Amino acid sequence: MILTGRKISQGKSQGKVLLCPNPVSFLGGVSPADGKVSDASVNGQSATGRVFAFPRGKGSTVGSYVIMDMKQHGTLPAAIINESAEPIVATGAVMASVPMVDSIDLSLLREGDECIVDGSTGTVELPDVKEINVVSCVIKDGEKILFLRRSSKVGTFQGYWSAVSGFIEVNETPLETAIKEVREETTLISEPVKIGEPFKVRDGDTVWVIHPFLFEEKDCSIQIDWEHTEYKWVCVSETASYQCVPGLDIVYKSLGI
Amino acid sequence: MFLTREEEQILAGEFGEGKKKAMELLVALGDIYKAERLIPITSAHLSGVSYKTIGEGGISFLEEMSRDSKVCVPTTLNPPGMDREKWKGMGISEHFAERQHKIISCYESLGVTSNCSCTPYLDVNIPKIGEHVSWAESSALSYVNSVIGAKTNREGGPGALAAAILGKTPEYGLHLSENRAPSITIEVKASDVNYSVLGQAVGQLGGGRIPYFKGIRPTKDQLKTLAAAMAAAGSVALFYVDGVTPVPADTSETEKISIDDKELQSVRDKMSSGNDPELIALGCPHLSCEEIHSLASKLKNKTKRGDIEVWFCTSRCTVAKCKKDLDILSKFGNVICDTCMIVTPIEERFKCTAVDSGKACNYLPTLCSQKVVFRDTDDLLEMIQ
Repeated sequence: MILTGRKISQGKSQGKVLLCPNPVSFLGGVSPADGKVSDASVNGQSATGRVFAFPRGKGSTVGSYVIMDMKQHGTLPAAIINESAEPIVATGAVMASVPMVDSIDLSLLREGDECIVDGSTGTVELPDVKEINVVSCVIKDGEKILFLRRSSKVGTFQGYWSAVSGFIEVNETPLETAIKEVREETTLISEPVKIGEPFKVRDGDTVWVIHPFLFEEKDCSIQIDWEHTEYKWVCVSETASYQCVPGLDIVYKSLGI
Repeated sequence: MFLTREEEQILAGEFGEGKKKAMELLVALGDIYKAERLIPITSAHLSGVSYKTIGEGGISFLEEMSRDSKVCVPTTLNPPGMDREKWKGMGISEHFAERQHKIISCYESLGVTSNCSCTPYLDVNIPKIGEHVSWAESSALSYVNSVIGAKTNREGGPGALAAAILGKTPEYGLHLSENRAPSITIEVKASDVNYSVLGQAVGQLGGGRIPYFKGIRPTKDQLKTLAAAMAAAGSVALFYVDGVTPVPADTSETEKISIDDKELQSVRDKMSSGNDPELIALGCPHLSCEEIHSLASKLKNKTKRGDIEVWFCTSRCTVAKCKKDLDILSKFGNVICDTCMIVTPIEERFKCTAVDSGKACNYLPTLCSQKVVFRDTDDLLEMIQ
């Protein structure tokens, strides 16, 4: 999978992700002698040779020189990934020629992921993670939405609750897939009234790219196929208590329901 | 950010590694701050000089940059970590001195004027009103923004160096007129204003606001003190004083507050953290000729009392202009050139320092592990005569 962000510091390199959930101050927060990161959440690991991912920098502007000092000690990270770059870390990365990319959603990375950062194109590649495009189609009837339980015959998330969903095939547009899946899984022939912004969710070695669609029907009756074992008409607020497929709450949000 | 063809070529390395790195830095900063283009600057002033702050990492960066590039606009330099001549008397180690000289010589080979002062706007580097410049050193950049009316952002040392090498800076923040409007009007209703205390009080308000003062008539030296204190206490990079500094046409759309003696006193009470100073240090920012003259006239015909060490910190340019006054000051303490109490490693010799500077009150506890005694200038002079 390739994520596209913003180029901050040129160059390309590879390493395993070291993920720190908190903002990092290089002055006092990273030891130039051995690259160790003091933030408790990384368990004393060193950033040396790693793709160091954290939300953003913070603290003293002397932090830029600390990164340069790491270069002298040979303890630099292989690359830096930020959600939003600020001048201290960006300056240090450019000074020390550490490839750096920002505007990356860190929730798509996992500690230890193999990762290639290209600061010249602004991309982050995770070669062991595959990206799969799917549609998620919510059918609304009055105040209720259609809630389906996935059968044991489907490939993923057996027994989980979901909306109408399916893989987007190579020659299909997301819209075509959405209309097809609704017809196959419910027998309804319908067109969506709203299309949500596609978003990504990390799940094991897969990143699901979910394309949300909203369909509206009145007093409709449906028939389910082999992909589901049961269905209900529920309010959105009730869905939280069920075991749902990942990202379903975001689908609801992006469709404004 | 939009780059011209020549700027693209610099970024691609066609004009050497130093310029490439400088362009990469400006483009990164420009993108972070959403600048649309680079604009020409007329001068620069650089921080990141003391070996105590930038260390070996700083030296290797400067060595790389000085290999094949030079600044292309007049560029001055902040204080290093020692008096370049009298460092031995300050208790500086041979190693520190050697590395510090190395840093200064790197800057010199980059074409930077090694005035070594935080007040270059008093003599060797004076921007004109409306000019775009790229200045680091929070007190100096606030002074040129506010008192002179030039335009600069709060640069870090490397960013300002990159701008000096390319003669350009990304156009964002305080380079754009729409971002320079005052956002808070401060009516000062105090009988006796100490500008370090006022600066501390207003800096602490925070929120990145641009203050517009009414009810005060500071001198140039008091503006220097005010700028330094506000920058240290609250990152203020631009302020206005009614009737004193250039002021924009429209100052109506601001929040309004007033500050009185009582509030200033409560701020002053928190500026001291110690009682028994081992060092009395004046000159943060560096003393001007006028300030040195004023100190000299107060100490003239007096004799020194006590054995507390005393420093008068100033620039070599200023020293050259007021020899007679400095002869008087030398009877009461050391005239320290180039450096100051914040960027030299005073923590190796002292634990408690007395100052009359709001800026020093902010940095001495964190950068130099000092307890601080804050007093008016005249009260500090009382302690030594």
